[in-house]
Amino acid sequence: MTTGGPILLIDTATTRAVIALGGADGSLRAERGWTAGYRHGEELLERIERLLADEGVALADLGAVAVGTGPGAFTGLRVGIATAKGLAHALSVPIVGVATGAALLDAAASAAGTGALVLVQPAGPNDRVLVRRGEAARILPGGTDPDLAPGERLVAVDLAGRSPEDAAALGGLAVDGLAAAMLATAARRLAAGDADDLARLVPEYVTLPRGVRMPQPDEGVEVSGATPERAKP
Amino acid sequence: MSGPLLLAVESSCDETGIALVEDGRRIHANVVASQVALHAPTGGIVPEVAARAHLRWIVPVLDEALATAGVSMRDVDGVAVTYGPGLAGSLLVGINFAKTLAFAHRKPLVPVNHLEGHVYAGWLLDPGEDEREAPPFPLVALVVSGGHTFLVEMRDHLDYRYLGGTVDDAAGEAFDKVGRLLGLGYPGGPAISREAARATAHDRVFPRAWLGESYDVSFSGLKTAARRIVAQAREDEGLPADEREGALAEATVAELAWGFQDSVVDVLAAKTIRAAEEIGARGIVLGGGVAANSALRARISGEAAARGIAMVIPRPGLCTDNGAMIGAAGARRLAAGVRAGLDLDARPSLPLARPTSR
Repeated sequence: MTTGGPILLIDTATTRAVIALGGADGSLRAERGWTAGYRHGEELLERIERLLADEGVALADLGAVAVGTGPGAFTGLRVGIATAKGLAHALSVPIVGVATGAALLDAAASAAGTGALVLVQPAGPNDRVLVRRGEAARILPGGTDPDLAPGERLVAVDLAGRSPEDAAALGGLAVDGLAAAMLATAARRLAAGDADDLARLVPEYVTLPRGVRMPQPDEGVEVSGATPERAKP
Repeated sequence: MSGPLLLAVESSCDETGIALVEDGRRIHANVVASQVALHAPTGGIVPEVAARAHLRWIVPVLDEALATAGVSMRDVDGVAVTYGPGLAGSLLVGINFAKTLAFAHRKPLVPVNHLEGHVYAGWLLDPGEDEREAPPFPLVALVVSGGHTFLVEMRDHLDYRYLGGTVDDAAGEAFDKVGRLLGLGYPGGPAISREAARATAHDRVFPRAWLGESYDVSFSGLKTAARRIVAQAREDEGLPADEREGALAEATVAELAWGFQDSVVDVLAAKTIRAAEEIGARGIVLGGGVAANSALRARISGEAAARGIAMVIPRPGLCTDNGAMIGAAGARRLAAGVRAGLDLDARPSLPLARPTSR
């Protein structure tokens, strides 16, 4: 599946955007992070261009693109995934969507050692999203506290001032280790031939305005102007 | 090829459109993934749902466009993309995808105003369509859609003088609202047009907001009047006030649809024709989703013909959002030296104005 060239990683799910280059074995070669806030789109491509130049890697040398799928800020996820899709398409390389939440938990676990971890991230101004390993992410409405089981520790990302200090500290370690964790997952999946479908890869959204159901990815869209003899993509 | 071949990307609202357009006129491919059915259950666009659908469909739409045109990215001379106005989340998908294609394939990136795209749809030629003259300057363009309603004067390419526009709702919003009142579902435009065509009596007269001698229009009063008129009609037919409980007689729906549509068409047509006469326009261009309305098309065409003014109305598929119109406007911008850098970001409230060359 992978051509053996370096993996370019993009994650824009948190307020700290991260890009990295990794070996086909998942080893972290170089990493750049910056505070993107909610304006990831302005800097992402220029930063990628600079990272590649610094590392002496040509765009055409890349073997795969890995991208964070969230959960996280909608704006960042759209920018990151649209950019990753454009690159994978232009370079004809595989794309791997990596769940940012799971990777943050992986990173926190390798930094914190033992213990079960629960990730919390902001979801809009008041709510939070809660991620446990192996479970679907879910919304924690404003005012509710996470129902931690005995021994479980909280990892808080992008919640400065809205979470206990130790949870925020663990969150900081998770963010620091995010690129390495994501590259490890991406490399494992690429080696197993488990890349994503370039068309169907979409972000993991947890919240929608109240009462609105998230449609299935293929639902409700009609393609026109396509050549009649070709099957619908 | 007689001119540059642009790959053009449009994702400002609920259609993912990618087209290949030669020299700003000839369409080689124009693929659109429309989310109309996706947003029908909510009766309007949910921005988060729209943005995710753009992400889902943008790659297949690109592949289909390239395959239809029979070209590869190597044959493309530039990438044009809508950067506003529109929904921020939707715009971001097209912008970042287009930027990346331009970056990776080393093509110039041309930022295009969505509203300008609606005007430039008037220049497009379908594949195989006979050559015809481009819209003549000076001209008046009326853009009417779900999000926009305005009149501009153009004395040359990319040169816009705003004449007037809606002071409240866009015409398309009024169609959606009245469509719901009449139990016709979402979107309201095509359904009202269809129902109105069945009217026979043409005796339901809705009010017109003329707003004096200005070229501005208003539809909020018309919406309020429509609510009152529909409520009265329901009472007359012994129906509960809630429009979800029991449907009006088919003939009533048709007459009310006609009455509402006639009010919108009357005001838009009268202001457009008056603007054209005042500036001495040689041409009138119609664009935007509501320009697909057959009553509006017929009315303005008739009045323009009577005055010897050339009338350009794209076929309905080019009036609604699509990539080809961005390619048409993009070619003019490319020729004028307008380029965007890799930092191009969404401009949800971008006004229509002459672009600055960089």
